[in-house]
Amino acid sequence: MKRLTRLLSPLLILALVVGSLPAMAAAPAAGQDLVGTTSVLDAQTSQQDRDKIRRVLAREDVQQQLLLQGVSPSEVENRVAALSDAEASQMADRLDQMPAGASVVGALFAVFIILLVTDILGLTDVYPFTR
Amino acid sequence: MTGLFSSAGHKNARPAGVLVLVLILLLLTGCATTPQLSPATRQALPSQAFNESVPFHGQRKYQCGPAALAMSLAAGGREVSVDTLIPQVFLPDRQGSVQPEMLATVRRHGLIPFRIEGEFAALLDELAADHPVVVMQNLSLPAFPQWHYAVAIGYDLPAEELVLHTGMTPRRSVDFARFNATWARSERWAFVALPPGELPAGDNLDTATRAIADFEALNGSQAALPAWQALAERHPHAATVRFALGNARHAGGDAEGAMAAFREAVTADSEFAPAWLNLGLIASEQGRLDTAREALSRAAALPGPWQSRARQEQQALETENAP
Repeated sequence: MKRLTRLLSPLLILALVVGSLPAMAAAPAAGQDLVGTTSVLDAQTSQQDRDKIRRVLAREDVQQQLLLQGVSPSEVENRVAALSDAEASQMADRLDQMPAGASVVGALFAVFIILLVTDILGLTDVYPFTR
Repeated sequence: MTGLFSSAGHKNARPAGVLVLVLILLLLTGCATTPQLSPATRQALPSQAFNESVPFHGQRKYQCGPAALAMSLAAGGREVSVDTLIPQVFLPDRQGSVQPEMLATVRRHGLIPFRIEGEFAALLDELAADHPVVVMQNLSLPAFPQWHYAVAIGYDLPAEELVLHTGMTPRRSVDFARFNATWARSERWAFVALPPGELPAGDNLDTATRAIADFEALNGSQAALPAWQALAERHPHAATVRFALGNARHAGGDAEGAMAAFREAVTADSEFAPAWLNLGLIASEQGRLDTAREALSRAAALPGPWQSRARQEQQALETENAP
């Protein structure tokens, strides 16, 4: 495993560098490219190359997951592109557990009663008619 | 359970049951108390704040995320319909929207999302500055969550009430305690969406720097320039911000301005190697060999991830300009 990572890491770094070349070429008025703002911020928070590789992989992962969650294929690329690196890796790691939407509240009578009481006590805000 | 009630007999089972229910509820919810605001905080805030300019967009089934976004984008001068936002942020199978995508969608529409600190006072500070705040709540209990996004647009301190555009109701007043209980269940997640050049009332330099850098990565330096400018004005001695400003100016073709910003960065922190390096690179591009030599040698003398690059550039400069 260790040997495999030792083999893969340089390849991935190379892929990253090559992948970012077009962006470099497109930079306006730059005979030489400067040290970028994000790379300095990353260095300050000690995010190294290995993290960077993981984050590139994370974006592909997120793309797959969004497709599975019913996002239309024409939108998915723009949605992933708008995420910051940190957000993309958060999504890749724990999209399943992220809070979104409502579970079916009030399907059970007991749950309805409990929430009714907590609403009246001012602990929850589920049924507007309690006020 | 049977052990608990056996001595009490059947007659007393009902009150005991109620007691158990109440105990369970308290365990489930913790106690909802009015958020503690220090007297100093209360003094510093205007007693009422209300932003009338935030338009209301009612949510359709489950789609509070897109609706909250539409309201907050409109307040920042970006009119986007809920129908446009739904395919950009809604997750059909989850019947909801997740937090990172809420922030990402703000970025897509040219505003900068700044997370605010999860404190009640921080929320009121933003409202007092007329910034509508998108908040995430769990309106129900942790065991059966009902996640919800709403837009806070004002408050009334004497009445202890927050004003929200929420669900199908514009300008709904919710008392501080109830809101605080539902907000706490999302770990007090909230953000403001502001056009580049405006900054949140909260003064967290690192958060703001990251937020602008993430915006810049998507929308380009030209769009982010006013934001860097504003942050540099607020934090005149922050080397990282000057550095970012220099990069943004350079990307816009302003070499003089960029060099000035990098100089300010190294004045603020003389061991900030990337700023020396970038200053040297632009100076040599501009044919200012003395400045370039000095800056590159300073960069090359500082240990760290940029040292080897600085040494290379130093050598390149000498070979190019050898007599």
